[in-house]
Formats: sequence, structure tokens, C-alpha cells
Amino acid sequence: MEPFVFFGGKGGVGKTTVSCAYGLRCAHDGLRTLVVSTDPAHSVTDVFDQPFDDDPTPVEGIDGLEAMQLDPEEEVTRHLDDIRRDLSEQVSAAMVNEINRQLEMAHGTPGAYESALFDRFIEVMRNSEGYDRVVFDTAPSGSTLRLLGLPDLLEGWIDRLMYKRRTSIDLFEKAAIGNHEPRRVMDGDPVLARLQERKEFFRFAGDTLGNDAAFFLVLNPDELSLNETERSIADLEEKDLPVRGLVANKLTPEPDDDENGRGARYLRERVETERAHLETIRETFGPPLVAEIGWRTAEVKGSLLEDVADELDIETAVEPPTHV
Amino acid sequence: MDLADRIERFRETLEEWLRGLYHGMITHPAYEKIEKEAEDIEDVFLLACFPDAFGIPSPVSYYTAELLPYLETEFEAWERRLWDRDMLIERKGQQYHF
Repeated sequence: MEPFVFFGGKGGVGKTTVSCAYGLRCAHDGLRTLVVSTDPAHSVTDVFDQPFDDDPTPVEGIDGLEAMQLDPEEEVTRHLDDIRRDLSEQVSAAMVNEINRQLEMAHGTPGAYESALFDRFIEVMRNSEGYDRVVFDTAPSGSTLRLLGLPDLLEGWIDRLMYKRRTSIDLFEKAAIGNHEPRRVMDGDPVLARLQERKEFFRFAGDTLGNDAAFFLVLNPDELSLNETERSIADLEEKDLPVRGLVANKLTPEPDDDENGRGARYLRERVETERAHLETIRETFGPPLVAEIGWRTAEVKGSLLEDVADELDIETAVEPPTHV
Repeated sequence: MDLADRIERFRETLEEWLRGLYHGMITHPAYEKIEKEAEDIEDVFLLACFPDAFGIPSPVSYYTAELLPYLETEFEAWERRLWDRDMLIERKGQQYHF
């Protein structure tokens, strides 16, 4: 299977648990594995009982497994600081204020977090030579996964921007009379260079996501989760990123037959509804159900994580990446 | 100074005048027109880069913000042109000399 594996789904369905369990399984099978989480709640830290940050850190006690946590807020700030540094090198003090306002506006737009995460995801994929498999635990909303479908769109956008920039520079060059220096020159135009860089970045992202990535959705057996999953599947399919499989998490355990107390009746009824939901998934959803994971009474970590890993029916063998 | 020299000088002056007239009446407005067109396209470029300056949120602003350090002069001129401009027809009208 592809070297990059993404787990998505509604908030609170257990994406982090499933991602970590899958990472663990890959590591057990002898793959150098990296788990990348974008959960600001730092759940990976909770699962492995160990703090993680921006840099891949080996997970204690498990050979070949490393993890890192990305904080979108930090990424946006870093991006902002990078531009500010360029700004102070390039721009006269009088203009800095004016441009700063524009800059802050750009980083306050609704898509800024997603863009920052997208950038980091792609960067991690670009620098993944040290790993056989990278498991992405995406942010708890459809927007991250949706953004992954955007490279084509963004590339087209950059193309149009470059075309406009080129046309205007060309005209400025033509408008220069005699020996006058044109107002803008095509050769070495930093704006075109930056746009070109971005364009290549998006091209790489599109190629890699299209060829070297597999997508899984985690869901719970309830109506809300089912509906959202159905939408996500359609969304991803539309972007040519087909969902490889579904993981049903937090299934209610069935009581023994001889039990007939209030708790047992409650559980039996729940199991009944859930079974109906699972049936719906099997019959009407395109991607196969690759794992059914029951509720655990304790937090899933340590040996419990191993149990969950065993329940995952997702292969681990890696094909080498084609586009890195 | 004999006649040939005087004719020569007259021709030189005439040529200079004609050249000047041609440049002033024909070529210079054409260059100006091209420059204005270039400015217009640059405006479109900047608007496409920073639509949030007009309250239109854009997912690409995050990326185009990287260009800001290199767009100082363009950005300033853009804002100035936006303030000056009343309507498109007026702007386009400036490009014609009647």
C-alpha cells in the first residue's frame, strides 16, 4: 500500500486512536513509521503518555515508531514571521505599516489554519526519506481533507496569476521609450520566481496525494457520523482521492444471553441499532469496512492500543513512493 | 556660409521638428496607452492576489501574502490608483487623446 496514509472523520470518533494503532502495527511489522497529528488537543501525547512537538520524536518502548504534533496556530505565526522578516529586508519603513495590515488580514482569513497545515503536511511528505510509512491524523473537520483536494485548483490559480504578471511586465517593457529603464523587468522578477516556487509545490502535492497516499475514514455507528462520512466520501471522490476503507470505532459490546438487567437490555438495544447502521455502511457505502473496534472501558493506550492495532484489517506492506 | 550649408541646416531643423511632432503626437501617446494598460493588468493581478482588501475572503491570500515583500511599489501605486479612480470609463478615457 501507499507510503502515506491519512485518517479523517468527524470530531471525537477516535481518529487519533486509530492512527496511533495503525502506526504501531506498521512499526511492529518492521516499518520505520511516523505518526503526524494535527490535533490541537494533543491526543497523541495522551495515547503514548509522552510529550511530542514539532519534530519527530521516537516513541519510548516501541522500535521504529516516531511521532510529531503540529500546531496550526504555531504554523500560521511562523509563516507570518517569515514574511515579516522578508518584509523588513525588502521594504522601506514607511510602507511596512501599510503592508503589515494587509499581511495580518491575509492570516486572519478562515482558510489560514488549513493552509498552514496543508503546507506542513506536504513538507513532511517531501522530507520523508527516513520513513517507510507516514500516518497522518488529520484535524477534526472535513476541511483538512477537503484542502488536500485543492492542489489542482491552486495550481491553476497560480498559473493565472503568473499569466497576468507576465502580461503586465511585458507591456511595461514595451512601454519603455528609447533608453528608459522599464518600470518592471521580466528577468529575475522576484514575484514570478515566488509564484513558480509555489506552483511546483502544489504540483508536487497533487502528484503525491494522487499517487502515493491512501485515505481512510473513521466513524462511529451513529446517524450523525454516518451522514458526515457519506459526505466526506463524496467530497474526496470528487477530488479524485478515493477513500480506501472505513473504520468503525466505539462499537457497543454485546451482553451475555443470560443477562437481563436494565444495563443488559440497554446494551442489547444499542447493539441492535448499531448493527443496523453497520449494515447500512456495508450495503450502501462504496469503500469497504476494514475494521470494527469495540468500546474500551479504559483510555486506549499501552497494551490496549496493541489490541486495537490487532483489530485493524489494514495491510501494512509498503510500496515505494513514486513521486518523492 | 553658402547656400548649400543653409539648406543643410534648414533640413536638419525640419527633420528634428518633424521627429518631435511625430513622437509627441503619435508615438508618445501610444507608449502611454501601453503603460496604462500594463497598470490595469497589474491592478487585476493585485486584486486577484488580495481580494480580502475588499472584504472578500480568499483561501489563496495566505499564499499570496508571501509576495507582499516584493510588491512594495506595486502595492503603493495600486492603492493610489484605486483612490484616484472614479469609474472605469474615466480611466479608459484617459488613455485617449482627442
